Amino acid sequence: MKRTIVKIAGESGMGLLSSGKIIARALKDLGFYMTVDREYPSLIKGGSSNVQIEFATHEIRALSSKADIVIALDRHGLTEHIPSIKRGGILIHGYERHELIPELKAQAKKRNVKVLYLPARTIAKELGGSNLMVNMVLLGLLWKVLGFKKQELKDEVSRQFKSKPKLLKIDLKCIDAGYEAEGIKKVPTYTIKRNKKVPKTILIDGTESLSLGAIHAGLRNYYMYPMSPISGVLTYLGKTSHETGIVVKQAEDEITAIQMTIGSMHAGSRSLVATSGGGFDLMTESVSMAAITETPLVLALGQRPGPATGLPTWTCQGDLNLAVYAAHGEFARAVIACSDQESSFELIQHAFNIAETYQIPVILLTEKEVLEKYSTITPFKQKTIPIKRGLVTKKADLEKLKPEDRFALTKSGISKRWLPGSSKTFYYANSDEHKPDGRITEDAKPVADMVEKRLRKEGTLKKHLPKPIIYGAKKDADIAFIGWGSSKTVMLDTINLLKKEGIAVSYLHYDYVWPIQEKPAQEFFKKNKAVYLIENNFRGQFGEHIEAQTKQSFKDKLLKYNGRPFYIDEVTAYIKKRIKSK
Amino acid sequence: MKSSHTPLKKNLKTLFDNKETYLGYENEEVITWCNGCGNYQIQNALKRALTLEGIKPHNILYCFDIGCNGNGSDKIGGYTLHSLHGRVISSAAGACLANPALTVIASGGDGGTMSEGINHLIHAVRSDYPMVFILHNNHNYGLTTGQASATTPKGFPMNGSPDGVFIEPMNPSEFVLNLNPSFVARSFSGDVKHMTYVLREALNHNGFAFVEILQVCPTYNKATPQQWYWDRIKYTDDMKNYRADNLKKAKKIVEDFEKNIYLGVLYQDKKRKNFLERLPNRKGIKTTPVEEVKHYSITSLLKEFE
Repeated sequence: MKRTIVKIAGESGMGLLSSGKIIARALKDLGFYMTVDREYPSLIKGGSSNVQIEFATHEIRALSSKADIVIALDRHGLTEHIPSIKRGGILIHGYERHELIPELKAQAKKRNVKVLYLPARTIAKELGGSNLMVNMVLLGLLWKVLGFKKQELKDEVSRQFKSKPKLLKIDLKCIDAGYEAEGIKKVPTYTIKRNKKVPKTILIDGTESLSLGAIHAGLRNYYMYPMSPISGVLTYLGKTSHETGIVVKQAEDEITAIQMTIGSMHAGSRSLVATSGGGFDLMTESVSMAAITETPLVLALGQRPGPATGLPTWTCQGDLNLAVYAAHGEFARAVIACSDQESSFELIQHAFNIAETYQIPVILLTEKEVLEKYSTITPFKQKTIPIKRGLVTKKADLEKLKPEDRFALTKSGISKRWLPGSSKTFYYANSDEHKPDGRITEDAKPVADMVEKRLRKEGTLKKHLPKPIIYGAKKDADIAFIGWGSSKTVMLDTINLLKKEGIAVSYLHYDYVWPIQEKPAQEFFKKNKAVYLIENNFRGQFGEHIEAQTKQSFKDKLLKYNGRPFYIDEVTAYIKKRIKSK
Repeated sequence: MKSSHTPLKKNLKTLFDNKETYLGYENEEVITWCNGCGNYQIQNALKRALTLEGIKPHNILYCFDIGCNGNGSDKIGGYTLHSLHGRVISSAAGACLANPALTVIASGGDGGTMSEGINHLIHAVRSDYPMVFILHNNHNYGLTTGQASATTPKGFPMNGSPDGVFIEPMNPSEFVLNLNPSFVARSFSGDVKHMTYVLREALNHNGFAFVEILQVCPTYNKATPQQWYWDRIKYTDDMKNYRADNLKKAKKIVEDFEKNIYLGVLYQDKKRKNFLERLPNRKGIKTTPVEEVKHYSITSLLKEFE
């Protein structure tokens, strides 16, 4: 069950990402499961960044707050990250004048951290390499410390830099030199258990997973104005556009992006718009327009901490209430939350089906943590989610249509929808209040009728939404949690970890966060004596909805709002403290 | 007044022959525009142009902005999408990029187009989306009862600007001509025949067809009434040697809004390909995005992650 945690710290632009990728790919080929995440400031060069790689012989999805090994590429990485090394851990660096940092030795000694130093810059230069190749020297040393064969790392580097043979030659020499670790008296070496067989996995992040889900579900028009942390969707869909044929258009602003999406959806394509909180704020009037014209809308909202510019490159779950309450007027909507790669791939497909079937706005929440963290997972299964468009398409049916079918006052609230141009019977999609055929009205009764019809969809939707899922102990749990979004990953890892220690944790996870399904929560409260909330925001927004609708109270709320995700050790410590005090 | 581009008899006969199509654009809704509003005649010209072009109502998507013209969103035959104030160009662009087989006609006023949503106008011209955009320029915000717009002439008291506007008004056609457009035309709500001609040219243009209609507003715009226009209107078709393929010349004749106001197709680039045709990743694709919605295999895309 043991996981090994490696962190590379340095400045943005020092090759952290590519070093992380090399390690991750090499570990994947050795049959390890892993999760990799990065922390970085909102700038391109400089500033303190790091990449953390956690690997084991079993699936892991969440991060820990402390690493076994830290590779420091700059002075800041050197001093800043000593506290984040576990007691007895290792610090690797290539900073020649480390002797001049008095607090380094003192700090290392205090935490029983071994400091391994190689003159990596000199080595790289002597071998004809650049400053960036310092990383290769240190990766060589890391590989030695991990107790792996040198060739396994060299194979991966050779694969990745195949197209640059000259540089590759130097890279490989740097790895050799690092692995030989000349000058270090005794290199401490780990013995890490491996899987007997290399499992079939893919190494992928949430951005790519969400994009692939959209491609699979028939996305044909994509519009976006770039905004961290979700610009990666534009990157990926742009990069793959020649293979997919998708119309990818970077719009002039967020309002344009959502309006173009609504236009494309109205015409009958599957279209998507993605943004973060600030961009979504600009889009909200258009969400309201999609609602009254009953145009299906799928909007991916990648959360980062606000208000305003906030923390562009950090994570949170702070925009739930924004998604639930945004846009003027009263109308039905669905808010769905991704928690990991699989859910990103699947929920975007469901989002399209719900948006088209119910003809409502669907906001798909995701988080920096979900978008950028990458893990080894079982490859996606295709065609498990049918495409449901809720359209009248048969010729005979199209011929029978009447204009008043379009917004007919049905019991379910859902009326027939057909595409402009597909039937001789046309209709008016009106952002003014209207009668069943779309003609404008301001008369009291038809207005009330139409408001009720549109809101009936909320009840219909609620009845048909997939139920939240209980993970971990199904009964007799020592402690129970309710949560949504990326909380799932930390809860899953915690459940497994504590199970070994004889602590049974139960976790009720909501993918479909709005409209709230209160009954499963009510039952969960009944079944468990002490139910806690876990949520990455200040108020416990989802918790407030749950409490209001179930008339139950959480025993306590585990909340976090500093831009960081929940770490496993912090959640396990929280649980142990609660259980002890019982 | 004269306009050489209105072979009246021939048009009337075609209109008569296609009366079935024409009737498809009529409906029973009670029109809510003021007496003498320019919108009646603009709608009339549009119905004529569509009939003469043989376009059936159900193959059209009209996209409406908010304002007096937007209140006509249920008063013409065809599919509609009534957008938000200032946003009509973007929703219409999304529709034509999804289904280029539809005739997408967007319309908005000088308030929504030249103020609230001017960014959309700029980038639609630049992107050259395959659609028609009709600017109803009546020099004020009519539906909110006569406030000044970006095109209101200086010196006339308006709602909220009792001393009159004291900053320079914008000249929409001049503005758009400076954005390297592919089609710019200007007409006048008092001249149904000329509007019909200009709209037909716009419907046949491959790309973003910008049509400015100078429109009277008998209720709130006292500065530029019907006769004010008639006293100034000239037609480019009556000019010797005027060709619509000369951008420089178009910019020159459109500058003046005091003495001579030129109407006609001011500029057109017939060779340019529209946005969809220029998309590098859709070369050779004959279907429209609307027709392409289905499951797509991601097997080959997943290879990168294995």
